[in-house]
Amino acid sequence: MIGITALVPAEVIYSCGEAALDLNNFVPTSKLEPEDKLCAWTAIWRELVLRGEVSIDRLVVVAGGDCYNALVEGEKIELAGKPTHYFTYPFDGNAGAMKEQLEALADFLGGIRDEAFGEVAELKKLALEVHEMRCSGEVGAEQGFLIEVSGSDLMGSLEKYRSAIEEVEETEVDYEYRVALLGIPPIYPDFHAFLQELGMHVVFDEMPFEFIRHTGKSLGEVAGSYAGYTFAGHISRRLRFLESQLKRHRVDAVIHFQQFACHHKLEDRLLRDFLHEKLGYPYITIEADLPSPTPQQARLRLEAFAERLGEVV
Amino acid sequence: MLIGLDVGSRAAKAAYRLEDGYEYRVVSSHSWEDLLRGREGVVISTGYFRKRVPHDFNVTEITTAIYGVRHFIRRRVDVIVDIGGQDMKVIDVERNDFVMNDKCSAGTGAFLEYIASYFALDVAELARLHRSARCAAPINSTCSVFAQSEVVSRLVEGYTKEEVIRGIHYAFARKIARMVPRHARSVALIGGTAKNAGVVEALSEVLGVRVHVPGEPQVVNAVGAVEYYLAREGER
Ligand code: SF4
Repeated sequence: MIGITALVPAEVIYSCGEAALDLNNFVPTSKLEPEDKLCAWTAIWRELVLRGEVSIDRLVVVAGGDCYNALVEGEKIELAGKPTHYFTYPFDGNAGAMKEQLEALADFLGGIRDEAFGEVAELKKLALEVHEMRCSGEVGAEQGFLIEVSGSDLMGSLEKYRSAIEEVEETEVDYEYRVALLGIPPIYPDFHAFLQELGMHVVFDEMPFEFIRHTGKSLGEVAGSYAGYTFAGHISRRLRFLESQLKRHRVDAVIHFQQFACHHKLEDRLLRDFLHEKLGYPYITIEADLPSPTPQQARLRLEAFAERLGEVV
Repeated sequence: MLIGLDVGSRAAKAAYRLEDGYEYRVVSSHSWEDLLRGREGVVISTGYFRKRVPHDFNVTEITTAIYGVRHFIRRRVDVIVDIGGQDMKVIDVERNDFVMNDKCSAGTGAFLEYIASYFALDVAELARLHRSARCAAPINSTCSVFAQSEVVSRLVEGYTKEEVIRGIHYAFARKIARMVPRHARSVALIGGTAKNAGVVEALSEVLGVRVHVPGEPQVVNAVGAVEYYLAREGER
């Protein structure tokens, strides 16, 4: 089992005959209180691996273009004896450089054996269909989020992911506002359900949407697609992408979710200036630290946000 | 009748909407039931306990503050500072957001009560002493425990009780000012503490802007609950 820490192209991992496990998925429900911590995500998965509570054979850390806290935690795991590979996104979105990264990743995993590109691409296409249903209010945000966020590791098994998609239930979502959740996925496991209670239907989860959007039927195609991973590139590219997605998803308001001690926090001002001041979207920032159910203060702020949306939307 | 019921951590307040305006009542928060006794009508609740008390509608104290201030102060304010018994909220009306301090007593009503009790005074007397001070004793701390030891040091150094209280009000105002966004040109202060003219004066001076205090600062949220309901009803 290959542990990954956010978006490492699963197409390559499965094509090397391995399975992926996104360590982040264990964090929101973890009770662990890690020592020596900046961001709770990286500190918790580091502890889970070091203590053997999550078992992996090797680790691939997204080390460049996305998260430097992860890089250091990866080094700790490597020094403790686990084979670790450092994966870097090209900041300029260069597809050639991306392809070199994918080749290095494949080398680390022992080379491409049985190509799974086609099947993963097909699964992601199905996940995108679930996403469209969520947009049209036929799938709840909680369920849609689970399918999309699981696009990073495909639930550790392609069959498992396929059945999860097949089991998605169609409903009629009752909502007042269409909301985009930008930034880091919420570390509060009940976050989507809570927003739903407030009549806010999350139609766009920025990072999870990236997890299912990038794929390809060959190594070259995969490289070209992941080179456009907006979270790891220049902010201007990300802002342009968000502008078009918010429009396409007919979003009424934006929630920016950020994490204590994460450098992405510094982007809040840029996002707010562009999305709120320039484009006029109602905007709220929620900052979290340790995993827990959505705390009272955040609930109060979101509830007030929903009340005021009634005036502006 | 429309009843705005604001049940907070220390006090419960009601605003009863009558034909020619509002009638108010304030009791301790444990006695909130007294506010509904013998009154029939639509109850719109707000405050910490808004979901725990009987209500027809409930609305957050952030929204009620905005509507309440609009009712009392008929001009635009950028920021509302709501000093409660155990928390303090700074509402950025323009940006539709707020920050809140509920982790320690600094900047809350509890801090001033603590200081008042040290001098064996009632909080209502603090403003009078503030007025008669010639200068403000230098106080930096807004943590209740550290502030008290600073208070003792200043008294030992020879500052009068009045000067120390004035100093406390400035320290309190600086703590709040740190949470007020820089773009604020006009600020409204609400909550029971806004009756303390010493705090209002210190806050205006520290912020360098006019601080508006509604006629009945303690019941702004109760009135705001009714005003929000009326605005919403009007839309329907
Ligand atoms: S929240 Fe930020 S610091 Fe934490 S893992 Fe994600 S990118 Fe890294």
